[in-house]
Amino acid sequence: MSFDGTLSVSEGIATIEVKGELDASTAPRFHDLVDQAAEQGAVRLEIDARHLGFLASAGLRSLVFARQKMGDEVRIAVIGATEPVSRTIRLAGFDHSIELIDA
Amino acid sequence: MSQTKVLILDEHRGAPPELLAALESLQAEVHRRTPGETLALAPGALGRADVLLVSARLAPATVKAVARRLDDEGQQPTVVAFADHDLHLLGSHIQAGSDYLVPPFYPELVRARLRTCHERAELGRTLEDVAAHAELLSYERELEIGREIQLGFLPDALPSPEDWEIDVRFRPARTVAGDFYDVFELVNRRRLALVVADVCDKGVGAALFMALIRSLLRHTAEQSGLQSLIAADLLNETHVWEEQTRAIPVVGATPLLNAVVGTNNYLTRNHIRQGYFATLFFGVLDPVTGNLVYINGGHNPPVLVSPDGSEPVLLEPTGPAVGVIPDVTFSLGYAQISPGDTLFIYTDGVTEARSDSGRFFGDEQLIKQLTEAAVRGEELLDHMDGALGEFVGPAEQSDDITMMAVHRRTAGAVPADRPVPQRRDS
Repeated sequence: MSFDGTLSVSEGIATIEVKGELDASTAPRFHDLVDQAAEQGAVRLEIDARHLGFLASAGLRSLVFARQKMGDEVRIAVIGATEPVSRTIRLAGFDHSIELIDA
Repeated sequence: MSQTKVLILDEHRGAPPELLAALESLQAEVHRRTPGETLALAPGALGRADVLLVSARLAPATVKAVARRLDDEGQQPTVVAFADHDLHLLGSHIQAGSDYLVPPFYPELVRARLRTCHERAELGRTLEDVAAHAELLSYERELEIGREIQLGFLPDALPSPEDWEIDVRFRPARTVAGDFYDVFELVNRRRLALVVADVCDKGVGAALFMALIRSLLRHTAEQSGLQSLIAADLLNETHVWEEQTRAIPVVGATPLLNAVVGTNNYLTRNHIRQGYFATLFFGVLDPVTGNLVYINGGHNPPVLVSPDGSEPVLLEPTGPAVGVIPDVTFSLGYAQISPGDTLFIYTDGVTEARSDSGRFFGDEQLIKQLTEAAVRGEELLDHMDGALGEFVGPAEQSDDITMMAVHRRTAGAVPADRPVPQRRDS
């Protein structure tokens, strides 16, 4: 399945745009981007999920990794998640540790 | 040896005339290219090469780049460096693993040389293949052992209390699974624990955490069963239930809360860095009354289906997935399974099953199929299996699939003629 992720950092805000499907086979590429965002000392991580069609449980695990990697003081937001993706995040109860915006 | 295909590599597409003449008399198929040309060729345009004859004047790194390019296309020709006068240049090629060819280039000598080079390379490849295959076999054997051990973490047989039918389908997508289910008796066999869980991600990591989480849940529940029985006997439990109060204790609520909260605390305290968690449904059933108290930790809502055609009831999450958020609160949910009802508990492998065109089975289709199906346990699972199989078609199963049907017989119904329920694996 297709996946594409790009990282941009501006004024301490790291934005990872994810497209396609985040699952067991594509999650490692997302982890790499989170690592890079953490290395650049971002104070906020925004995950642009407008074009993410599917988030598998391995993808949920990626969000846990992002939470760990960035540290507690960094706010993490998932922006513009499609209905299936926001439902997966809410169902697992992750909407308490990760902000859902425009979803 | 059939006609040998030789690719000669040189910056000037040159080669000693005697060598070319020898190759011609051996009727070899010869192509001459520069390294630049070879690397620039489109994939597939290279043609076959059994032997890569490289001029010793080329840098070994250049030769390696060309060999890698051929390897990308599944070709591993024997690499032979040749020199006409400048024999000292051969040293670095031999160190890099190439064979060599030096004058005089008499046809019979060249033929013999190429043949031994070829045979040695074949032997080397065979040995590499054998070693790789042996390694793979040993991994497979280890994985198979893992699978067998993991099966030991699932119940051998399911309890069958009077008037109840409990059936399970369990289909791992890989050799080892992250899904699991459990059914066991609690509080002096007065209650039945029903567990369906899905450890995030797949493969060996998920399987290890499956074993841990299953054991923590079961052990804690079994150990904390009796105190609550004593506590509940002091109160009037039936009354408590009718009030739909959230007051504790309801028999079974204590082992349930202890198991889930205890497991969450253990995981967040000891394993949070590994990032594994489980979504789970853990219900404690009173087989006499059909009362069910449960915790749904971020799991797909089980569906309670009635035979009277009323709307199915979804048992929504009462807390987050287990193992992520330290010290989180889990609430209790309550439901009543009436005679004739079936509770269908499943993992996301069902709703996220995909058709050949990539569509998901989905929640709506799940509810539709459940309401259409005969509500008896085994038949319901057969029906769901059929619906899933038809939907998925020839596509590969991408995730573990677990389905549990808990059916309460209508009063006086004759149990179906069936053997003792067994685990159904495939």
